[in-house]
Amino acid sequence: MPAITYLEAISDGLREEMRDDDSVFCLGEDIGAFGGAFKVTDGFYEEFGSDRVWDTPLAENAIVGTAVGAAIEGWRPVCEMQFADFIACGFDQLVNVAAKMNYRQGVSVPMVVRLPSGGGFSGGPYHSQNPEAWFMQAPGLKVVAPATAEDAKGLLASAIRDPNPVIYLEHKHLYRRIKGDVRAGRYETPLGELRVARAGTDLTVVAYGAMVHTALEATEDLDGASVEVLDLRTLCPMDTDGILKSVRKTSKVVVLHEATRSCGVGAEVCALIGEEAFEDLDGPIVRVTAPDVPIPFSPPLERAVLPQVDGVKEACRELLAY
Amino acid sequence: MSSSPTEQTGSLGESQELTEVVMPQMGVSVAEGTITAWRKQVGDWVERDEPILDISTDKVETEVPSPAAGRVAELIVAEGETVEVGTLLATLDTGAKPGEAHAAEANGDGSQAAEPKVPTAAATESAAPAQPTGSKAPRGTNSGNAAPVSPVVRRIADEHSVDLGAVPGTGRRGRVTKKDLLIFIESGEGTEGAQPPTSAGSSSTPAPSPGSTGASAPRALHIESPYVEEPPLTSADAAKLPGGGEMSVMRKRIAEHMVRSVQTAAHCTTVTEADMAAVERARKGGPKKLSYLAFVARATVGALRENPQLNATIEGDRITPHEEVHLGIAVSLGDAGLVVPVIRNAHELSHEGIAARIADVAERARSKRLEPGETQGGTFTITNPGPFGTLISTPIINQPQVGILDLEAVAKRPVVVTDADGNDSIAIRPMSYLCLSWDHRAIDGVRAAQFLAALRAGLEGWRG
Repeated sequence: MPAITYLEAISDGLREEMRDDDSVFCLGEDIGAFGGAFKVTDGFYEEFGSDRVWDTPLAENAIVGTAVGAAIEGWRPVCEMQFADFIACGFDQLVNVAAKMNYRQGVSVPMVVRLPSGGGFSGGPYHSQNPEAWFMQAPGLKVVAPATAEDAKGLLASAIRDPNPVIYLEHKHLYRRIKGDVRAGRYETPLGELRVARAGTDLTVVAYGAMVHTALEATEDLDGASVEVLDLRTLCPMDTDGILKSVRKTSKVVVLHEATRSCGVGAEVCALIGEEAFEDLDGPIVRVTAPDVPIPFSPPLERAVLPQVDGVKEACRELLAY
Repeated sequence: MSSSPTEQTGSLGESQELTEVVMPQMGVSVAEGTITAWRKQVGDWVERDEPILDISTDKVETEVPSPAAGRVAELIVAEGETVEVGTLLATLDTGAKPGEAHAAEANGDGSQAAEPKVPTAAATESAAPAQPTGSKAPRGTNSGNAAPVSPVVRRIADEHSVDLGAVPGTGRRGRVTKKDLLIFIESGEGTEGAQPPTSAGSSSTPAPSPGSTGASAPRALHIESPYVEEPPLTSADAAKLPGGGEMSVMRKRIAEHMVRSVQTAAHCTTVTEADMAAVERARKGGPKKLSYLAFVARATVGALRENPQLNATIEGDRITPHEEVHLGIAVSLGDAGLVVPVIRNAHELSHEGIAARIADVAERARSKRLEPGETQGGTFTITNPGPFGTLISTPIINQPQVGILDLEAVAKRPVVVTDADGNDSIAIRPMSYLCLSWDHRAIDGVRAAQFLAALRAGLEGWRG
């Protein structure tokens, strides 16, 4: 079983689903003959043809809207946004139409929108965002953010099979940096279940996406402390039981994400812990996030904005010493 | 020196309340300061806002006023040391009273403060035991007991009856962390507090707690959260009892129907009482003894004809009164459930006819031989738990009908009766409560009462 990259795992997962189910098709900008901006759909056009791999105009509203209609008609469309940032153009179709369809009319909308997200490569303010929290405020959408190649494939399969619209955040920084032994053939990683990336007893770091790797690196050797790292995997529905179980064990929590701070995933996790596990806390809940600013292009500025290994170490040390 | 602080320490122990003196924030950018001089020593009395020490920072040199009036209990940071803003410098016993230990200070005029005393080493040392002599636990090696206690530490300490003052803290400002506390408990040091106070807490060896098995085993640590998930309520034994497991199809339909009715209708229940003596006579007089139900059903038909608003169905905003009375009769099938076969055109039947129809549908309901349509189209329903001796019920309306009558047990009760001459006497009469649940969306209480009055009149003046 050869190790493949995070990006290859996404391709592999999408290909398996398209082979397995004729109702699955994908659409997006330059995903056909060109194989996608990041080459996720490289070779798809050749294998599945133009009926199932659609090159669309530069119109995210149309991409998402078309997918909503196709999903209502029983197809399982997988949209690719060239960059997660551009989903803003398709926001209305997603938040007001797709998310509410089941509540209003009992109609399911089984679609996936793939969002290449995240920074760390000087992409600047329009190509580096982490917009997951936008969608967590739209009941009816599910939000997935894999951190490993194995989960990238398994969560994509689950997202495509899910009867709801699912936002699938794939972190660009992980595309070719992360490798894993990914099983051949199709398999599903269940939505709503976190993964304990590393077990520990002294402190919990809650993270997802690329920050799982930052957390692991920062806490690998932290003055002998035993640090548990949770990979949320699915942000909505969130594995609240899994988070609370860990908090009740360690009593100290750092919540880490690359997205901006206010009203972010971390705020939700903090509120959950404050409400449900107050009696188990042995220190303040600490958030490590990007500040509330757009992501700068300048490499040193971008490093200053995005959470880095050293910053996570510092936060963990502070809390361990509390 | 007339004011040796050791002279009257015994009286200090009664009400020690400690107030902290911390390194103040002297300007936004100042992070630390150096103690240049203590103006007070342990045991000295200090007034609120009276200078207690001098500090030096990289911006200013200043005196620090006391945050409260009290007696200096402990000086924590020595002269010449540099510490962070917020660091605990000293504690004041604000429960002490001036002059208790220092008669000379009783005037509190501040003249003492102008000439800071420099106690001898011996005096300072002997001041240390100025802790209340009755104190049950030593203050430990750290002075950080005033640091905040986290929720989990508080909880575990309470569960193990640990005096946190005795636990060495390694956290910020000497705070006792969860880890500190667990190590302390595991070491067995804190367990004497959990015992019944037989040995005045002087034992140094941990005694087993009541639940512990081994004589020398330390008490099992409870560090898990109290919020354990509740185990599912199903047990192996319960699963074997009849009625367990998934609901039958009939049960589910009853459940759905009942919940929908409660959510749909504005249920009210009105109760009247009827003297069944006339009915009783008629029962005995007939060719064969009929049930009360047949009589009540016949009287109900009569009352419904007088009050057609109750012989009605309601759907949405639409009420439909019916001329014909199609009377539903609830038939229990035991634990299996309940069906309500409908006696169509009950208004065309005598009480004997109704009795025969009831017997027929009940028998066929129990043997599952009802025709599919026979439980539909009812305009009013009667339910009859009476044979089991119950007194009052509040039945749920059989949607979309407007009312349901509940016939309770007929029981002999002492009642006041009035004879033709107006004389009251107490008599033994066969009485029964008749309970009508009705839908306040369709009718109001007056109509329900009028219906029950008509029903009662029909029963009490039974003429067949």
